[in-house]
Amino acid sequence: MADINLTIDGKQVQAKPGMTVLDAAKLAGVYVPTLCFHPDLAPYGACRLCIVEIEKMRGLPTACTTPVTEGMVVKTNTPQIQQFRRGVLELILTEHPHPCLTCWRRERCGPFDVCLRNVDVTHRCVLCPKNGICELQQVVDHIGIEQVEFPYVYREIAIDRENPFFERDYNLCIVCGRCVRVCQEIRGVGAIALTYRGSNALPGTAFGRALLDSDCQYCGACVDACPTGALIERNRKWEGAGERKVLTTCVYCGVGCQLNLTIKNGKIIESVPARENDVNRGQACVKGRFAIADVVHSPERLTKPLIKKNGKFEEASWDEALNLVASKLGSYKKEEVGIVASARCTNEENYVTQKFTRVVFGHNNVDHCARL
Amino acid sequence: MNFGDGETMNFEERRKQAIVEWDALQKSPKPRILVGAATCGLAAGTEQVITAIKNELARLNLDALVTRVGCIGLCYAEPIVDIIKPGRPRITYSKVTPEIAIQLIRDYLVNDNPHPDLAMGTQGEGGIEGIPKFWELPLLKAQIRVSLRNCGHIDPESINQYIANGGYKGLENALKMTQEQVIDFTKKSGLKGRGGAGFPTGQKWEFCYKATGKDKYLICNADEGDPGAFMDRSLLESDPHSVLEGMLIGAYAIGTQHGYVYCRAEYPLAIHRLQIALKQMKEYGLLGDNILGTNLCFDIKIKEGAGAFVCGEETALMQSIEGKRGMPRPRPPFPANSGLWGKPSNINNVETWANVSVIFDKGADWFASFGTQSSKGTKNFSMAGKVVRTGLIEVPMGISLGDIIYEIGGGIVGGKQFKAVLTGGPSGGCLPASLLDLPVDYESLNQAGTIMGSGGMVVADEDTCMVDMARFFLTFTQDESCGKCVPCRVGTKQMLEILERITQGEGVPDDIRRLEKLCNTIRSTALCGLGQTAPNPVLTTLRYFREEYEEHINKKYCRAGVCSKIVKSPCQNACPAGIDVPRYIRFTQQGKYGEAVAVIREKVPFPAVLGYVCVHFCEAKCRRGQLDEAIGIKELKRFAADHDTGIWKQNNKIAPPTGKKVAVIGSGPAGLTAGFYLAKKGHKVTVFEALPVSGGMMRVGIPRYRLPDEIIDREIKEIENVGVEIKLNSKVESVDDLFKQGFNAVFIGIGAHRGLNMGIDGENSLGVVDGAEFLRRVSLGEKMKVGEKVVVVGGGNVAIDASRTALRLGAKEVTIVYRRTRAEMPASAEEVEAALEENIKIEFLTNPTKAISEKGKLKVEFVRQALGKVDQSGRPRPVPIKGSEFTREYDMLIKAIGQESETPAGFGVKTARAGRIEANEDSMITSREGVYAGGDVVSGPASVIEAIADGRKAAVAIDKYLGGNGAIEEILASVEVPPKYVPPEIEGEQKRLSLKMVPVRERLSNFKLAELGWDDKQAGYDCSRCLRCDLEAH
Ligand code: SF4
Ligand code: SF4
Ligand code: SF4
Ligand code: SF4
Ligand code: FES
Repeated sequence: MADINLTIDGKQVQAKPGMTVLDAAKLAGVYVPTLCFHPDLAPYGACRLCIVEIEKMRGLPTACTTPVTEGMVVKTNTPQIQQFRRGVLELILTEHPHPCLTCWRRERCGPFDVCLRNVDVTHRCVLCPKNGICELQQVVDHIGIEQVEFPYVYREIAIDRENPFFERDYNLCIVCGRCVRVCQEIRGVGAIALTYRGSNALPGTAFGRALLDSDCQYCGACVDACPTGALIERNRKWEGAGERKVLTTCVYCGVGCQLNLTIKNGKIIESVPARENDVNRGQACVKGRFAIADVVHSPERLTKPLIKKNGKFEEASWDEALNLVASKLGSYKKEEVGIVASARCTNEENYVTQKFTRVVFGHNNVDHCARL
Repeated sequence: MNFGDGETMNFEERRKQAIVEWDALQKSPKPRILVGAATCGLAAGTEQVITAIKNELARLNLDALVTRVGCIGLCYAEPIVDIIKPGRPRITYSKVTPEIAIQLIRDYLVNDNPHPDLAMGTQGEGGIEGIPKFWELPLLKAQIRVSLRNCGHIDPESINQYIANGGYKGLENALKMTQEQVIDFTKKSGLKGRGGAGFPTGQKWEFCYKATGKDKYLICNADEGDPGAFMDRSLLESDPHSVLEGMLIGAYAIGTQHGYVYCRAEYPLAIHRLQIALKQMKEYGLLGDNILGTNLCFDIKIKEGAGAFVCGEETALMQSIEGKRGMPRPRPPFPANSGLWGKPSNINNVETWANVSVIFDKGADWFASFGTQSSKGTKNFSMAGKVVRTGLIEVPMGISLGDIIYEIGGGIVGGKQFKAVLTGGPSGGCLPASLLDLPVDYESLNQAGTIMGSGGMVVADEDTCMVDMARFFLTFTQDESCGKCVPCRVGTKQMLEILERITQGEGVPDDIRRLEKLCNTIRSTALCGLGQTAPNPVLTTLRYFREEYEEHINKKYCRAGVCSKIVKSPCQNACPAGIDVPRYIRFTQQGKYGEAVAVIREKVPFPAVLGYVCVHFCEAKCRRGQLDEAIGIKELKRFAADHDTGIWKQNNKIAPPTGKKVAVIGSGPAGLTAGFYLAKKGHKVTVFEALPVSGGMMRVGIPRYRLPDEIIDREIKEIENVGVEIKLNSKVESVDDLFKQGFNAVFIGIGAHRGLNMGIDGENSLGVVDGAEFLRRVSLGEKMKVGEKVVVVGGGNVAIDASRTALRLGAKEVTIVYRRTRAEMPASAEEVEAALEENIKIEFLTNPTKAISEKGKLKVEFVRQALGKVDQSGRPRPVPIKGSEFTREYDMLIKAIGQESETPAGFGVKTARAGRIEANEDSMITSREGVYAGGDVVSGPASVIEAIADGRKAAVAIDKYLGGNGAIEEILASVEVPPKYVPPEIEGEQKRLSLKMVPVRERLSNFKLAELGWDDKQAGYDCSRCLRCDLEAH
């Protein structure tokens, strides 16, 4: 289909049919603040930060939900938009601790510094694991809020630390619904949903039961979708932003999920499924998501082949080990050999393994650990 | 479109059969009894009535047909029973109990006594003596039944009765047109969606018709969720086929195969009747494949909603049908292109569909002939709240709010003042009395800040606090917000918190700005209609009742006496001077009469005067009055004052002299009160009185038989005792003079003593006197000659006082003429009672037109009046009836239609109409520095207690002006430890004791006190009735 021409803040853009105004704004290099938007999820329109003015449309449509049409004229930053955006953001902040967000000193404060404004520890951004990587912070910094004139209410909800992978601190939740939607739309699980109505609405499990009793797969998709510190991986909680990222393939199985490893001080502090690929498109299972760093940095991890000599395992080189195996294999009859492959090998490796068995030994005695 | 022959014949046969059945029913030799059996009727006890009827019929061995019909709309009058005897018109009986039902069967069915006393009206041809025509009744005359055409007339569970009354004719007509023609026809009718937004129905269908895609959906929105709204429920319970037929027509026009009725599960009866109707439609070939032999294939499913208000929003409703959490989603894409299951969908509400079916039966032009240019047809409303006749109504668009509330609704319950009407439920707004003329159509309501909505209409009276009302609706929307978008979820909560603070007396002035900011943000940024309209109740109350917000915030005062945190007791709240009523009632009950008076004296220097003549605002609001009768608060005041021990003097303090001098002009209650408190604050007060007596209107307005001289003298003496000097016969013409004499501040309280002119010919003829002047001259001892026949014009207390005085001066016959009716009379009820007792005649709806003095006699011409439309004061405007003039002869005509003030130009203060001085309502300061004013000269003729309240406010302001702290509050009686609240035991009604009066014969020859007070037993009894609203129940 033909491109759609529209104007955003005076810039001409060619967008593809089916794109939203927000997509088109990105093409045009215009930043529109968002919070409930997530590129992998269906348009939702809850946080109302992406409101824009569009000629010939009533009210203030949200960029993230409005499909582009030919000849649209969009303004993203008029005084009216700024005023209402600020009004809405102010309301968001009445549900989220914000003393640090409106404090000019935030960037200079370390987690253990004395707060000059005597802010409660539970309310300090500088003590939040998401500090520096929080989307809410980014939006506040962009829009600019000096003061919130409506009272903030701390929800006083106990932090859920029941599972070993991530914590749920709904005192920080801004009810953007990203966790819920990713769990329902992408994982197809629906372990969590929005519960209750009105100002009591919050993500949660059915009847408030433990995540363990829900259908949760601990895939961590919700954690990655959360813009705030409400859902946080326990292991990396106090690690901060990290130094660099390394793109790699998950070693756990043959699917080949792409993972972005965050590295700090030479160590993996987290592994986040990468979005820009056709294999796992931002998703992973519990192992790829939460069990990489622990395994990689485990002192018990084997890094070299071992050969049992005199009843004891001793480290050996790969040549030694392979030679030993080859020599031993040769000493058996073909039909006395069976081969078990690993699910952690790639498809190609597994292909070679079965080919080897069938061609060299001439039989089908080959199996795979994932079948057990 | 072609009709397959076989099927059409079939339906035609069915129609013929239905008509034959119906006609037979109409001509049935058996009597028929119709009983309203919608939810409103069932709640009022219809089942018991039906059982009683059946039993009685069986007992008497009578053969009659008993049919359950739907709701005719008069919910307040349920259970409603209609009886049709062969050859007689149908008679409607209201509020029928099982006993009445049995009586009707015996008396009417058996003995042919139609009981006009119990009947509301007759329907159909012919009439019955003593029973009005049902559709001529004021509440029905203005109504037009379009969508409710069959409600209350047919059995909702009989498809044949629907068909016999023109049912499914519209469908047949539509099927003869092309789809485009059906859409154009709908457009031509001008029908707009009745669910609230008012989008043109035909246009909406067109969008969906044009949308690409094979599967399309059609939905009937029956998720009626506004508090107080029940239009759709009644319609579905009373005539489900009218809605379903409309859906079939829509389905044909748009080309859809699948239909849903989304009905809330709280409407079991509606769902039940829908299910029956759907089954019948299938049987008759009106659902399923090839409907009526055409290629229209359509099926309807019922989806029960779980009662979330937000599911009335179309996109949320569709999500709910899909089995998801009912949350709206942004549009575009619009449902017409992508709705239910992502397919093109069209949704209209119950009332819209019921209109569609009749439009195709009777024609688009017929429909468009009702209503206004831009809003065609009729609209259903469910009227609730403080209106006399609640129920379901259907009125043509463009009717005025006033007509709905007064003509149809019968006005406000208990004769109270109308305050506001809320349309559109929690998404709508509150409109004040000044907008009672507003025509009810989409545009006018929008301009006024509210919406048509689905038709909820809640009427509020003077006892409704508008801030509290806004708070209530915010609680609702806050609870019902789906929680998806920020402005609605968080914003409404913040608004609610502010409103809660205000109603609890913790508001701060900045709150109003903050509320407005929130309203703006939410209105402009919320995702769906629920959020966008949630601020409406607040915005409209801020627009029309801002003063109530300001009172709550600045004065911690709730004029309606509703907000319990700032209202100690309703009576104290209603008292202009804030007398602590329950406290003095408790002292009186304990026999501590001196303490009781001291409590009263904490707020006023005239306890006894008030005990005799106060207009008692308190009693009108007394909570006991909602139970049986208000406490006799004024009478208890008189009793305590009559038994005063003077104990208050022990705590009475007078501050040391300040050296400041204050002049008070006028020795009425306002001036003396101001003087009293200023003297106690140490200022030197001189009161200048033009007349030879002190007391102002207390002395020369109120006649002696109501307020004896001794009472006034005693209390004025106490005022002099604190140092106030009163100079009689000293008229002041210039304030400058007073300042020259060294006064530091001046208070003006010169009252309103000159009667207003009637504006008729011969106004100044001999024998015409001014009421206020008449009373003054009599009070000053003049022997006035009144002659034998006296007529008094007016309806206020002055008119009553003048007529009773005339009687005492020897008149044989005194008549009061008043242009409205008793209900509108401003005079206090007990005064009117007393006048009637003294044989004074009152002629209502009468007004003089001219007076001619002839040979010592006065010829007065009158014209009769009729009550016209209700005006903005909430009272009907009197309109002269042409040709009803008549003339009578009198010796004297006393005009008592109001008074004005004679404010000398030398005062140099700004005045408004009728000589009134403009003064700030809080500080009573005039346009001139150091000059204050209060009482009648500011407010126009009012009451003693209001004048006292003004005097207090002025005293505070003047003291501050003179360098004092303005503190005049005092504690004169011992502060009791409030006893633990034990709710009094109330067994049945315990009315107030009637007052002992001097026998009429003994009264008329003199000016002695007419009312005798209570004795201690009687007073004690009344005290015991007090509910002690000031004590909190724990
Ligand atoms: S971890 Fe995965 S399955 Fe569990 S709640 Fe989050 S998204 Fe759903
Ligand atoms: S937990 Fe995170 S992702 Fe989920 S709603 Fe709250 S802020 Fe959004
Ligand atoms: S305006 Fe209210 S009801 Fe509507 S989507 Fe937003 S939160 Fe839900
Ligand atoms: S019952 Fe007593 S306290 Fe309550 S309003 Fe009446 S007089 Fe006042
Ligand atoms: S990002 Fe568009 S509404 Fe939240």
